[in-house]
Amino acid sequence: MYSAVCSGALLGVSAYLVTVEVDIAPGLPVFSMVGYLSGEVKESRDRVTVALKNAGLRIPPNHITVNLSPADRRKEGTAFDLPIAVGMLEASGYFPAGASSGILFLGELGLDGEIKKVRGVLPIVREAAARGMKQCIVPAANAREGAVIPGITVRGAGNIREVLCFLGEHPGKMQEGILQAADVRISELMEGEQRERIPDFSEVSGQETAKRAAEIAAAGFHNLLMTGPPGAGKSMIARRIPGILPPLTLEESLEVTAVHSVAGLLEEGKALVTKRPFESPHHTITQAALIGGSSLPRPGMISLAHRGVLFLDELPEFQRISLDSLRQPLEERQVNIARAGGSVTYPTDFMLVCAMNPCPCGYYPDRNRCRCQESAVRRYIGRVSGPVMDRIDLCVELGAVDIGSLKEKNKAESSARIRERVLRAREIQKSRFAGTECRFNGDIGAAQIEEYCFLGKEEQELMEQMYRSLQLSARAYHRVLKVARTIADLAGKERIDKEHLMEACFYRPVAGGI
Amino acid sequence: MAEEKYDLWLSSFPDWGNNVRCRLAQTFGGARNAYLASFKEWEEVLSSKQAEGLRNFTGQWRLDEEYEKMKEQGIRLITRAMQEYPRRLRDIPDAPYALFVKGGLPGEAMPAVAVVGARECSPYGAYVAEKLGEALGRRKVEVISGMARGIDSISQQAALDAGGRSCAVLGCGVDVCYPARNRELYERLVQKGSVVSEYPMKTPARPQNFPPRNRIVSGLADAVVVVEAREKSGTLITVDMALEQGKEVYVVPGRITDRLSDGCNRLIRQGAGVLLEPEEFLEEFLEVFWGIQGRRKSCDAPIEDGKEKNSKSAKSKRNKQSVRHCGAEQSTGEKEALKKLTPEQAAVYGALEICPQTVDRLRSRLPDRYRETPITTQLMLLCMEGLVEQVSPGCFCLKKR
Repeated sequence: MYSAVCSGALLGVSAYLVTVEVDIAPGLPVFSMVGYLSGEVKESRDRVTVALKNAGLRIPPNHITVNLSPADRRKEGTAFDLPIAVGMLEASGYFPAGASSGILFLGELGLDGEIKKVRGVLPIVREAAARGMKQCIVPAANAREGAVIPGITVRGAGNIREVLCFLGEHPGKMQEGILQAADVRISELMEGEQRERIPDFSEVSGQETAKRAAEIAAAGFHNLLMTGPPGAGKSMIARRIPGILPPLTLEESLEVTAVHSVAGLLEEGKALVTKRPFESPHHTITQAALIGGSSLPRPGMISLAHRGVLFLDELPEFQRISLDSLRQPLEERQVNIARAGGSVTYPTDFMLVCAMNPCPCGYYPDRNRCRCQESAVRRYIGRVSGPVMDRIDLCVELGAVDIGSLKEKNKAESSARIRERVLRAREIQKSRFAGTECRFNGDIGAAQIEEYCFLGKEEQELMEQMYRSLQLSARAYHRVLKVARTIADLAGKERIDKEHLMEACFYRPVAGGI
Repeated sequence: MAEEKYDLWLSSFPDWGNNVRCRLAQTFGGARNAYLASFKEWEEVLSSKQAEGLRNFTGQWRLDEEYEKMKEQGIRLITRAMQEYPRRLRDIPDAPYALFVKGGLPGEAMPAVAVVGARECSPYGAYVAEKLGEALGRRKVEVISGMARGIDSISQQAALDAGGRSCAVLGCGVDVCYPARNRELYERLVQKGSVVSEYPMKTPARPQNFPPRNRIVSGLADAVVVVEAREKSGTLITVDMALEQGKEVYVVPGRITDRLSDGCNRLIRQGAGVLLEPEEFLEEFLEVFWGIQGRRKSCDAPIEDGKEKNSKSAKSKRNKQSVRHCGAEQSTGEKEALKKLTPEQAAVYGALEICPQTVDRLRSRLPDRYRETPITTQLMLLCMEGLVEQVSPGCFCLKKR
């Protein structure tokens, strides 16, 4: 007997459908699997046979052939266990032929027949819905994740007997209570989970300049570098930046959830990621873990930070090769990883926030504490790779906090109020960049500077004067203009003012400190 | 000439100190005799281990070749027996047997001041060292120092820039430029000043060489000025040496909260002279110096014209009329610029110092009524006027003049 069951596989953060064909024919008892399979897929032979046996479903000892089509694409993961089991049951006549058609199956089997959580459910369900399929059976732990996709019924199954029961009764007399469709109300999710706790800016006392820089960076989606002695509050401020970025839209939330789903990092039973990601990798991170990779590519930290904040603390300590490889992702907002196993693209639209000490001991230029040699300071700063520095629009230096500002606790502004201003600035940018490739001021390329960062005559003169007296480079000049545009947006001004230019200039990278 | 070859041999043995050298020369009556003495005779003066070492060293040493090499590099060896040997060094305890000299010799008739201080100095120290070096250079006072990073090299550089003379006393061979970054200064000193060392050529910079080196720094000077020093600092060794040699010690005071000024302030507490202003210090110093010179002249051969002395002190008097303060020197252009500042800018300017401060700290130092001023904007304006310098993304200081 022959049967064909539908399943799916991942390709980056998108997916494609896979047909699982099972043929059971008389002959010597052989179980062969084909279709360019990786190790874990081949092992499913043992999991499936034992699981079926333990569930009390006997498969006669015949010649069994399983093919995963398209057969020229490398398959990986454990999600094919369930469709293979279903195909074998169908080919053995456990339920009427055709009962499984139009249903997509995903799930890993335990030896007792339990169906376990798999990764990448969201993208595969989305692909199935796009291809016009109407039903999916996925592990119960992933049901809510899949249910976010409209126009497709997603049922969560706990074990193989439940699935058989469902297919056996199907389609006529559906039994009450078996494999109920998961139900997710997206609007409630979006609102409910937004109340998740994000640290608040009101907890940061003092450091007004750094907070202002964070606000500007958030408003214009600029990359930010903070320098300062240990304990000045660099990490504290960085952790609070997601809280002043606008809330995730549904579309963004789906993108973020897809990446987390592919990486297998979605919490069990979670439907959507609605909090802006904040990823803070340790500086020993390898290039592959940061960018994404391994022979069968997985998303790296920069993709997990998609639509959120990637925080690189102790920037000079990172391997140079890792930092250098951030160049393409920062520019193109996506990363293409080509390996023997195939080439995939992951989204990497993150805001880069970096922090570093000004010298090896951390206290330069406070000579009361710092005894680093000037050359050691320069070497330390020089460790930061050029390509990353090129993408930093704002630099800010934090001093040690004095006791006075620690005491006046109530004065600090809350994240909610800062976010209001950021949202207003974002609205202005949205209408300005409607229909163009840019979305934020941080995206403005050198070619469009003239158009978006128009200066009046007086401002032009000021800018020229600054260019000369402060010895700006051409690149710094452009950055100042972009940041000035954001500052003007924050102030709700149509035109860039002198004040905006000067404030922007303040945040430019200065040779001594970067 | 013949004797010099042997002096070079005696001065080049790497593993012993100045006292052994002196002892050998004294016992045998000159380097030549020491060279020609037998191993047994050496053993009478030295320990057997030292004598053994000397024999091995002497076996490899090519008298003429090495001497020619030294000449080629333009290096001279001045021993205590020679006329040119610096007069000031003759009288100090443990005076070096010989000095390797590259460039000229330190001026004998010129007044000389040693400027010493921390290698990792603060901007304040750097500023004072520069001002001081410049003043000394302008008044033709030789600056003696160790060419180290920080205070040493800054003051020497400034003295040369002001057209003065300077002498570097190294803790390595005179043909070694340490620290390597000071190559330019080293070359300038060879051209226009002097580089001296008691260590054999090619000796690398070793930590144990520096404390003995300091006795030559203070020995070559008539007075020592300490610009910045921590409580425990190599600079204080120089001060001890100077006191032992009977030289005047002046100290630049600092804030009691600055660790880099602890050593200086401590010296003041112990009674050292206080340098508040380079010109004022020079008045005092030169008066004493020329006074001594005058006395010396009456017994020694005349070195300098008496008129020169008088005109110098007259000039000093004139300068005294317009004593300027170290921190408050302003060119006319700057004065104009300062006049044009708005009250807010003036307030921000007033809060700034020579040492860089972060913006948040500056804001907290503003008078209450200016707290809400957009301080970043004001700072950028001041930067553009050239009054203020942004040393790092968030730190500002007064522009050094």
